[in-house]
Amino acid sequence: MLFQLIQVPVAILAVLLLALLARQLGLGGDVRLRSEAQARDEAATALGGFDAVEVALDRAGIGALLRDAQGRVLLLRRHGAQFAARLIDSHADTRLDRNFLTIGTADTSFGKVTLDLGDKAQVWAASLRRLGA
Amino acid sequence: MPELSPVDYAVPGFLLLIVIEMLWAARRAPEKYEPKDTLTSLGLGVGSTVAGALTGTLVLTMALWLYEQRVFTIGWQWWAWIACFVLDDFNYYVAHRLGHRSRWFWASHVNHHSSQHYNLSTALRQTWTGFFAANFAFRIWPVFIGFHPAMIATCGAINLIYQFWIHTEAIGRMPRWFEAVMNTPSHHRVHHATNPLYLDRNYAGVFIIWDRLLGTFQQELDGVRIRYGIVRQLGSFNLLWAVFHEWIGIARDVWRAPWRAKLHYMFAPPGWSHDGSRDTSDTIRARWRERQESVPAE
Repeated sequence: MLFQLIQVPVAILAVLLLALLARQLGLGGDVRLRSEAQARDEAATALGGFDAVEVALDRAGIGALLRDAQGRVLLLRRHGAQFAARLIDSHADTRLDRNFLTIGTADTSFGKVTLDLGDKAQVWAASLRRLGA
Repeated sequence: MPELSPVDYAVPGFLLLIVIEMLWAARRAPEKYEPKDTLTSLGLGVGSTVAGALTGTLVLTMALWLYEQRVFTIGWQWWAWIACFVLDDFNYYVAHRLGHRSRWFWASHVNHHSSQHYNLSTALRQTWTGFFAANFAFRIWPVFIGFHPAMIATCGAINLIYQFWIHTEAIGRMPRWFEAVMNTPSHHRVHHATNPLYLDRNYAGVFIIWDRLLGTFQQELDGVRIRYGIVRQLGSFNLLWAVFHEWIGIARDVWRAPWRAKLHYMFAPPGWSHDGSRDTSDTIRARWRERQESVPAE
């Protein structure tokens, strides 16, 4: 009975210590998209066979926008030490601020991401408007 | 029933091995761990322990009632332990296979797969909703034959403990004879992969022979980079979202679906949709095979 009483708080403490150790050891690292080719590869993996014909890479490599021949637009963003992606089906959550494009998706748990797309930002913002609200 | 299960005794060993693997990762491959992902995984482990404590008595009560109706009394002979362990491992295979092939059971199992990492902390991403999904039904029925509930519980716990060490990329391949019979890190990496070739393969718990016998085995291929996680990656480290997202998805789909499709959204394979707008593992694999055949050099 005593063991069961202390089991949960001890387990939570152990969990926090392990997470702290992982952070102290520098695990995870600083993962970035280094090239358009890498972004294409990540996109093809995230959405089976997504074959990008156009890529806009964030200047810091934290994400990318990709379009395939069917006109589908994929948002790729860093997720911890990996990457995750969502298809964009609306421009409702898109905001342009000079070179920065903030993009949300229908999946609110996926969150919004702000990409520094340089001079491509305005072109992509305009093309996303064509997706409709 | 003993107050502590074998899993409780194993937990300190689990934590020690995670620390050792973290130290290995820090030297060799820091990207194998992600602190936020580790926190989510371990949180799922703690929550699962709490959920198990809350529902364990109910499962035990059902098992004891069923044991009262037993056909035989098998007893505690040494061979009964072996028979019970092998039968329980087969039951695990069946439950696990259904856990990937029916969305209802997948909803309770998906949190074990939703990490994009594959390390020892991933092993602790255990379900919170297994009781609600009625997963226990696959494991307790042998009490009706005459295996004692405590024997089945002990075999199940040993099965779970065995599966801890196979969640690692730090071990390549085991000796050939071992790979032929036992579930190993290599076999289980395939199970956690989202590569089309690897989807829904290697459901085994302890003995890989079930997959070999029942046509679900896939060898890990050299030179193929494994991508871990689920087909539609969560993109979130939120603990509660990791636990409940598929249940929420089922509720939304059942609410919106036409009447004829409602049960399918609950029990058909994950990714099934009445209008064909989504992908199941079968359609993903079929499309991948088509691409392979059209571009042989890919």
